[in-house]
Amino acid sequence: MGEVELSCLAYVKMYLHACLFPRCSVNGLLLSSSPAGGAVCVTDCVPLLHTHLPLAPITQLALTQVDVWCAQTQQRIVGYYQANACVSDSSPTPCALKIADKIAEQCNNAVLLMIDGGKMSPDYRVPPIVMYERKDTRWTLKDKHTIMLRQWEETRDIASQLLDSGDHSLLVDFDSHLDDITRDWTNQKLNAKIAELASPANGNV
Amino acid sequence: SVCKFISYSVGVHKMRDKLRKWREDNHRNSEQIVDVGEELINEHASKLGDDIWIIYEQVMIAALDCSRDDLAWTCLQELKRQFPGSQRVKRLAGMRLEALEKYEDASKQYDSILQDDPTNTAARKRKISILKAQGKSAEAIRELNEYLEQFVGDQEAWHELSELYINEHDYGKAAFCLEELMMTNPHNHLYCEQYAEVKYTQGGLENLELSRKYFAQALKLNNRNMRALFGLYMSASHIAACPKVNATVKKANVKYAAWATNQINRAYQLAGRGTKENKCSVKAVEEMLESMQITMS
Repeated sequence: MGEVELSCLAYVKMYLHACLFPRCSVNGLLLSSSPAGGAVCVTDCVPLLHTHLPLAPITQLALTQVDVWCAQTQQRIVGYYQANACVSDSSPTPCALKIADKIAEQCNNAVLLMIDGGKMSPDYRVPPIVMYERKDTRWTLKDKHTIMLRQWEETRDIASQLLDSGDHSLLVDFDSHLDDITRDWTNQKLNAKIAELASPANGNV
Repeated sequence: SVCKFISYSVGVHKMRDKLRKWREDNHRNSEQIVDVGEELINEHASKLGDDIWIIYEQVMIAALDCSRDDLAWTCLQELKRQFPGSQRVKRLAGMRLEALEKYEDASKQYDSILQDDPTNTAARKRKISILKAQGKSAEAIRELNEYLEQFVGDQEAWHELSELYINEHDYGKAAFCLEELMMTNPHNHLYCEQYAEVKYTQGGLENLELSRKYFAQALKLNNRNMRALFGLYMSASHIAACPKVNATVKKANVKYAAWATNQINRAYQLAGRGTKENKCSVKAVEEMLESMQITMS
């Protein structure tokens, strides 16, 4: 199918989400601020859960709220990501497939992204991600060459920097928001920090 | 890091108290424990008296969690020296093997503990943890069920089993585990709320009504449980919107949903004051509640 571009912002937040909860499976939604048609540009992500991923109520709630926020901010939900607690198995779980199916109903070139926990150490040369796309009714592995991550090395360094400085703890997922609703699951603060780190390296993140 | 700041400006006693509190609350804040504990051990060991041994244990486990095998090894040696032949220390040695992913060796270690003491629950639970770490969920579930037949009062084990069942999408059995927990912990709002979530996930009118009841119960036990509040809102809304329900039931659930909406709005208004940080999330909730009201009427 088509090309998928993953922005620095989306990648860094997904990565930090997985790092923040190393003993849990985590998931989230991939967003795009680009219009539909052509390549899928994942420009942002919303980290959702780190507990009870298969349970329905909070997932439904989060999907609804993110939907509303996207409408308010001219974004669309274009995909789903998940990192499994058990690093030896990075294949999509039934709940991942279910949520991805739901997203594909509204977005026909939706992507399902699995973070490969076993390949997340800082000296890995390639992004530790595996992407799936929907062909007929099944999610099939995407050709690596159709996935683009501009300025991968800078992106990877930004993620490492934020981990080292402890700033990854700024990340708020939907679960954390429900524990304390004064915390912002749109992560404006962390977004600003990432933008700050990205700007000297390149002008377009 | 923030922890270094705490270490320098706070006395030895305060550091020791922090570690004790984290122990008592069973906090898994391993990086912090390593930060504080390592300094205490390296620089103030003489001032800790007999506390040092439990601190070695606590720091060792935290060190394993942070891949600090060097520190874990040091703690283990001290404990081995002080308590030769101790089952408790043997178990710690087993945990280190687990952290190094030497699962067969770890299992043998636990088997040797169980040979001397077949009722050693800690060793049995570690063996189940190994199965979990290896992704052998079906076996872990089987072993845990067997364990619970013998040790029926082990809350931690019931909860672990409920989590395993949830991950396997076996909601009926997860609900059973949570029912056990609710029976023995009637004041625990978290168990009520988790039970309600499982029922909601199972779906169907009967389960939805049960879920609504248990979300409400969780709120009675803790009126600040936001998951329970949203859960009440969603389950009541779905019941009210269901074509099968009669007018009385519909009316009652519309009322519950309206009450929940009110509470949610109040909570978010309160949260939205002061910081401009969470304006986006507050706005999203407001609009969501409005839009769902429209679909319900």
